Amino acid sequence: MKTITVTVNGTSYEESVPERMLLVDFLRDRLALTGTHVGCTYEGVCGACTVHLDGEAVKSCMMLAVQADGHAVTTVEGLAGADGPGPLQRAFSNSHGLQCGFCTPGILMNMSDFLARHPDPSDEEIRSGLVGNLCRCTGYVHIVRAVREAAREMREGASGVQA
Amino acid sequence: MYPSVIEEYLRPGSVSEALAAIARYDEGEAMFLAGGQSAMQAMKSRMLRPQCVVDLQDVAELRGIARDDGALRIGAMTRYVDIASETTLDGAFGALRDAAAHVGDRQVRNRGTIGGSVCWNYVASCMPAVVLGLGGTLELAAADGSTRRLEADDFFLGPLETARREDEILLAVSWPAPAARSGSAYKKWGLVRDALPVVGVCVTVTLGSDGNCTQARVALSGLAGGCQRAPAGEDLLRGCNGDADAIERAMAAIADSVETHSDMSADADYRRQLIRSIGGEVAATAFARARGG
Repeated sequence: MKTITVTVNGTSYEESVPERMLLVDFLRDRLALTGTHVGCTYEGVCGACTVHLDGEAVKSCMMLAVQADGHAVTTVEGLAGADGPGPLQRAFSNSHGLQCGFCTPGILMNMSDFLARHPDPSDEEIRSGLVGNLCRCTGYVHIVRAVREAAREMREGASGVQA
Repeated sequence: MYPSVIEEYLRPGSVSEALAAIARYDEGEAMFLAGGQSAMQAMKSRMLRPQCVVDLQDVAELRGIARDDGALRIGAMTRYVDIASETTLDGAFGALRDAAAHVGDRQVRNRGTIGGSVCWNYVASCMPAVVLGLGGTLELAAADGSTRRLEADDFFLGPLETARREDEILLAVSWPAPAARSGSAYKKWGLVRDALPVVGVCVTVTLGSDGNCTQARVALSGLAGGCQRAPAGEDLLRGCNGDADAIERAMAAIADSVETHSDMSADADYRRQLIRSIGGEVAATAFARARGG
């Protein structure tokens, strides 16, 4: 066992964990943050467990919890602002960017990092950015539309021109 | 799909601390963890069962891309995302960005490292073939303070095998300043976008002042024998000026000379066709980059 200190969604947690515990299990089983999903039995292929590690999208099944010691993690529970869902979350709601919703947390976390780095992406760039996330309902058309809408709203918000 | 029991997790802050940590364990009992995008898969499937994991994330001296008068040194812990976004890696080093920009997906590229990839040397991976095709030098350090430099041709021994001893750490991959009029390129084909290479081809060429090729290296990924040079094609590229017929002859010679295999992704004949198709495209790009276009 090893004692780790991890900041998750702005709160610092000190926990004693087995060295082999995966970060996704730490988030779900220790911190009860079950918004981070396991969609492929930890094979690293579905992206449903995507979280931010120090602001960058990573798959939390591809890391040990002890590797996050001293770092800041953001999960989907930490994505909304103080005044409710952000533009990306609203766009997924408005554009119906989900069917069953299981893959949605991972896609939101990946795309929020993606949009921070690519504020005006083409559909092709959005699709390339989504390679690491499987939607098993195959609802990609609406997902791409939602990301595009979110990007537009975020750009207009940033320039002070509210739609 | 869960790692076996790990007794000790260490996070050294320097290369010497990392080597001392590994040296405390018998061979096969401890392992370095770089970005973990291959190693964690192997641990979860129990292919690797380390008693001790030595995480290299805090070893700052292993990270970064350094240019010195044209020479290039990429620290072993440098991530794909950092290589893909390093715009100075063009021309002679263009293949590095070609490959790094399309490894896995952006989550993988945010963690995965060049050093982890070349030390794992998986058959269906891009970086080993690119380092081989670019003729990189691998800098290794051991716990007794000794270091050695291995050419890529001597480093990659076969699938999942390299010349790195378990008590050694890969410090960096490096290249001297490239000759004038040099260009490289890499491309892979996989079942879906950015998937593991069913076949990948890396071509590096140097042109003389007359525009004819004086030096050529070709390396392949995705073959069962592991990353490998393709001397039959290199011989045919040397002396040519990069016209489409010459490139086609070179790639056909490679396709006819290498051993390809059949699996669920592609049969042996299709792999030969991929080598000709991708190889032709990659060689044309390498020549164009060498010409400065």
